[in-house]
Amino acid sequence: MVIKVEDFFSFLHKCLDKTFHNFDQVVLPAPSRNPLLKNYYFTPMTQTGTYNLDSYRTVDPLKVFFFQPREKMLPAGFPAIKRLIVGAKGCDLRALHVLDQAMINKDFVDPGYSHWRHSTTIIATDCSEIAPTCHCTLTGGKPFAEAGFDLNLSRLGEQYRVTVGSDKGQELLDLMAKNFSMQPAKEGIKSAIEKKRSEIIRLLHEQNRAFERGDDYTRLQSSGKENWNRESLTCVGCGACTHICPTCYCLILNDETKAQQFVKVRSMDSCQLHGYARVAGGGSPRPKMFQRFRNRYLCKFLFMHSNFGELGCTGCGRCTETCTAGIDFRQVVRNISETVAVVS
Amino acid sequence: MHNPYEVIPATIYDVIQESPLIRTLRVKPERPIPFKTGQFIELTIPGIGEGPFTPSSSHYISEEMDITIMKTGFVTEYVHKAQPGDQVGLRGPYGTRYPLEKFAGKDLLILGGGCGLAPLRSLFLTLLHDVEKYNSITFFAGAKTPQDCIYKDAVTEWRKYKNVRFLRSVDVVPAGETWNEDVGLVTTLLKKLDIDPAHNPAVVCGPPIMMKFGTMDLLKYGYKDENIYLSMEKKMYCGFGQCRHCVMGGYYACKDGPVFTYAQIKNEEDIWE
Repeated sequence: MVIKVEDFFSFLHKCLDKTFHNFDQVVLPAPSRNPLLKNYYFTPMTQTGTYNLDSYRTVDPLKVFFFQPREKMLPAGFPAIKRLIVGAKGCDLRALHVLDQAMINKDFVDPGYSHWRHSTTIIATDCSEIAPTCHCTLTGGKPFAEAGFDLNLSRLGEQYRVTVGSDKGQELLDLMAKNFSMQPAKEGIKSAIEKKRSEIIRLLHEQNRAFERGDDYTRLQSSGKENWNRESLTCVGCGACTHICPTCYCLILNDETKAQQFVKVRSMDSCQLHGYARVAGGGSPRPKMFQRFRNRYLCKFLFMHSNFGELGCTGCGRCTETCTAGIDFRQVVRNISETVAVVS
Repeated sequence: MHNPYEVIPATIYDVIQESPLIRTLRVKPERPIPFKTGQFIELTIPGIGEGPFTPSSSHYISEEMDITIMKTGFVTEYVHKAQPGDQVGLRGPYGTRYPLEKFAGKDLLILGGGCGLAPLRSLFLTLLHDVEKYNSITFFAGAKTPQDCIYKDAVTEWRKYKNVRFLRSVDVVPAGETWNEDVGLVTTLLKKLDIDPAHNPAVVCGPPIMMKFGTMDLLKYGYKDENIYLSMEKKMYCGFGQCRHCVMGGYYACKDGPVFTYAQIKNEEDIWE
């Protein structure tokens, strides 16, 4: 189905009205207030704000809505907020698929994650631009969502082509169609969207040509200590890369109370921090920076893959964007891979 | 829905000071916590924090639990201030158990040092429950000095069993202390081994350095990789494989362990750290 961009935004504005839909909050990417920065941040929608659904991924990963940086798990009591997130990108939805397996599985259900996951509706949008660090195509991704959304929007001029990804999405589309003028997508629109998508993929290939490294990630494990030492020389171990990573989910539990009661607060942790795996008495399996640095790469490309059958890197490039030392994740993977010959 | 972070309140009903740095908390949880020997629990000091500890009591008792803890960090500092009547919290049990069925009819060796005796006491007491099932139990226990030896009061009792051989050694005997058992690292006791290493199981627990050299020595004596059971202690924060602090290569110490055979983990990196 096709809807005018203007009508779609009117629909979102209507969604802010509880009598129209039971959403409590609509969240979507807004451009940075600093005109020098071409960045987008997930922001709660207001009647007067300006938003951009179509550029590239936001600075903040989608995971923060589900795996919050800090949340009380015990006693459990999560706010009953129904949220509509608009403008999620393909890379973040792939990441969410990894997190879903980690946080909701047969052995374990995280009450917070599961609460937010069930109370949130996701509308994805195609990327019509790429950020300098975007490299989803290097990790098997695409600059548009293939799964994991309730609805997906592909922009063509002043209209959106809407595709449905779930029953929840279908209901939302029905509501949209009841209130606004929508037409079935003609073949011409479909092929124009395909063409646009291919063009973005071409841009990604062009941007990342120098970082291509094949997909034999076992080379990361066999590469020697001296290579990891060299790559991690400028790393200060701040942990920003892991906190902003859409698939990192390491957590710590803290007892945040002064009273004689049991309170467990779950916070994000980072394997890059020195004290991460240190045990009482001082022992640590990774006391050196290069070991922790290496661990992150192995986790993304090997450990997560063996646990979930998917790479832990979706190529969003946020770690590179945020790194205070200017370390380019893609460059490291490429450099390390080159130190080991491919066994054919 | 079950909250995996739920804590079961427990009351300390007794505290046994085993050595200057090690004490055993005897706790009574609000509801029984059935566990299998080798598994661990997370003990919370309210408002302070929690840590993974292995019960040191028999798994045939679930209404009460002994937990032997060494003063070595932030949380254990508070554990050592706790008094009878105080409330603590327990989560668990988590992880893998000692495979008792594989010890049946065998000559089992238990090799432990320091506070590593905690899970081994649980194993030992559980074995004593039906001690006739096992051909023999050899328990080699090490400590730094005579005053660091734990479970002192129970030793005489344990030595009364016909098929139990319980030997102790201390690293050094400081001036002024008396000791009429072995002196030297616990692994030196292996010289006194009178069982067939090639076809019998061994269980090892202790400080990382002792586990490492203990395992190496067992291999030298002819124990097989798959017959050496290790209790790996890592930073097991959550207990259910979510927090990822205890990752050892492809394994989680909390979920796939803490009881591993040496054969399982010998190729993983940095297992002894």
